[in-house]
Amino acid sequence: MLEPVALKDFFIVFFSGAMVIITGALYALLFAWSRLWKKPWLMNAAYGAYMLLVISVLILGQTAHLNGFWCWLVFFMLTGYLLAPHGIWKLCVGTHMQHKQDAPIMVTETSNSEYSKEGVS
Amino acid sequence: MNSISLNGGQKLAIKYFSVAVALFVAQILFGLLSGIQYLAPGFLHGVLDFNITRTVHINAMVVWLLYGFIGSVYWLLEEESQTEISGLWLGNAAFWVLTSAVAVVVVVFLLVQTGPGDDFTRWFVNEGREYIEAPRWADIGIVVCLSIFLYNVAATFNKGRWSGIAGVLTLDLVALAGIYLAGMFYTTNISVDQYWWWWVIHLWVEATWEVLVGCIMAWGLMKTLKVDRKIVTTWLYIEVALMFGSGILGLGHHYFWIGTPEYWLSIGGFFSALEPVPLVAMVVHAVYDSGVRHMKSSNNPAFAWLIAHAFGNFFGAGVWGFMHTLPQINLYTHGTQWSASHGHLAFFGAYATIVIAMFYIAAQYARGKQQLGDDLPDRGWKWKWALGLLNLGVVGMTVALLISGYEQSFIERAQEGSTWYGYFAAQVHPWFIQGMEWRMVFGSVTAIGIVLLVWDLFTIGKQKAIKVKAGIVQT
Repeated sequence: MLEPVALKDFFIVFFSGAMVIITGALYALLFAWSRLWKKPWLMNAAYGAYMLLVISVLILGQTAHLNGFWCWLVFFMLTGYLLAPHGIWKLCVGTHMQHKQDAPIMVTETSNSEYSKEGVS
Repeated sequence: MNSISLNGGQKLAIKYFSVAVALFVAQILFGLLSGIQYLAPGFLHGVLDFNITRTVHINAMVVWLLYGFIGSVYWLLEEESQTEISGLWLGNAAFWVLTSAVAVVVVVFLLVQTGPGDDFTRWFVNEGREYIEAPRWADIGIVVCLSIFLYNVAATFNKGRWSGIAGVLTLDLVALAGIYLAGMFYTTNISVDQYWWWWVIHLWVEATWEVLVGCIMAWGLMKTLKVDRKIVTTWLYIEVALMFGSGILGLGHHYFWIGTPEYWLSIGGFFSALEPVPLVAMVVHAVYDSGVRHMKSSNNPAFAWLIAHAFGNFFGAGVWGFMHTLPQINLYTHGTQWSASHGHLAFFGAYATIVIAMFYIAAQYARGKQQLGDDLPDRGWKWKWALGLLNLGVVGMTVALLISGYEQSFIERAQEGSTWYGYFAAQVHPWFIQGMEWRMVFGSVTAIGIVLLVWDLFTIGKQKAIKVKAGIVQT
């Protein structure tokens, strides 16, 4: 059930493991900036970071022998990291919706005084 | 100190914070001694052996963080409940009992050190379980004091006002006191014994402490950045759900190699791998909030330590934890300096930073709600250097221990198959020794940082308070 990592793959496993979290955070960061500042090119960069995350997860999966049952872990990591920022963003918008003072000022390029729902959707 | 303006809970909190700072200093002092003993095993041999210095180093950390959390809760209790603390005298008595017990335990650790392998030793010298070595009588004292703490909190909210934060906090304190009981009985089977022991270590650290920090942060955000109560409460619920969803069964990563059934490999690996997802997801929330608010802090040191908390938690718990959490690689890293590397950064990043932020909030209030901004008389050089040196020191130790741990997992575990020969071969390898030497260098940097931190906590805002009193500057 469990096949330990080969000696030659030690560094790759540690490095790819670290990159999973770092690229995951980078994806989340760029995703949020893109939505906040309304910069579509940042969203492309976010998905670029996500692609690096996919590569990291796949390398980790290969070197750590995540076969059989462990394939589910790869699947959940890929979908979890992809969807979590979307979900959290929706929650952010939802929880701040009733508070005018929490209008994301920087996203509303047309007006600084009026709360624009478009800016946070 | 202008303690007249503080409420009863805040005065008690200051006592807890004072002991916490003293224990923080002790933690670093005994950490330095332990570090020296890695390089010079004969150092203090027969006087203060490594097992003693390490025990004090780690227990001091657990206890000072606990004191910091308890102090933080007392600090916010009256404001949050909008009433005076119920049974404050009992809380004060518990503080003195707990502090006396801690002092006696440390004296016994240092002077008695060991005893025969019988019940007397377990009850009065050292219980023998790593990280929670306090003897049984002290264990009972800890549970009693935590129960009094729980009573203070629950009864105060009951008398005053319940809120989302109050509910989460009270339930969390039930768990905090209750889970400690799991580490207070023995079985003759080491696997079963370790099974319950990990409940205390893991579920305290990765469940109840996380929630405590969440409650403190929620209250802190309302007070410092005027975030709406509904928002912080909703996010507290979300955080608790995410943390518990992955953190409770993440306990399984401690069950890989202690003789528990094989299914723990899957459960532990799976949920441990998902533990960083909430941390990553929270990046989105942080960006959102920083974007929608013009964050202006009246307490720069506290704010800077909160930022250090965000980064430290992410890298220490997230990156350093995930790198070796899967059983396929943990087989080689478990119990090596990898664990120490992860432990140093995670404990500092996730917990020490936020407690230090609370120290600064307390210092600000205790000195008449001074603005601790850019206009400090000394331009805040002490807190800035303390922040820089402590973070540099801990990150440096983390990297140095990582190098030693990498070498251990390579030579001791993978090449030599976890044999005694492998253990000693790894301990004398130049990479291991150099890692330990660098750990000492950065440990010393950390020690300089703590000296500056303590100096700053004693003095920050004092000069300004005097000037305000004299009418020279405004608050």
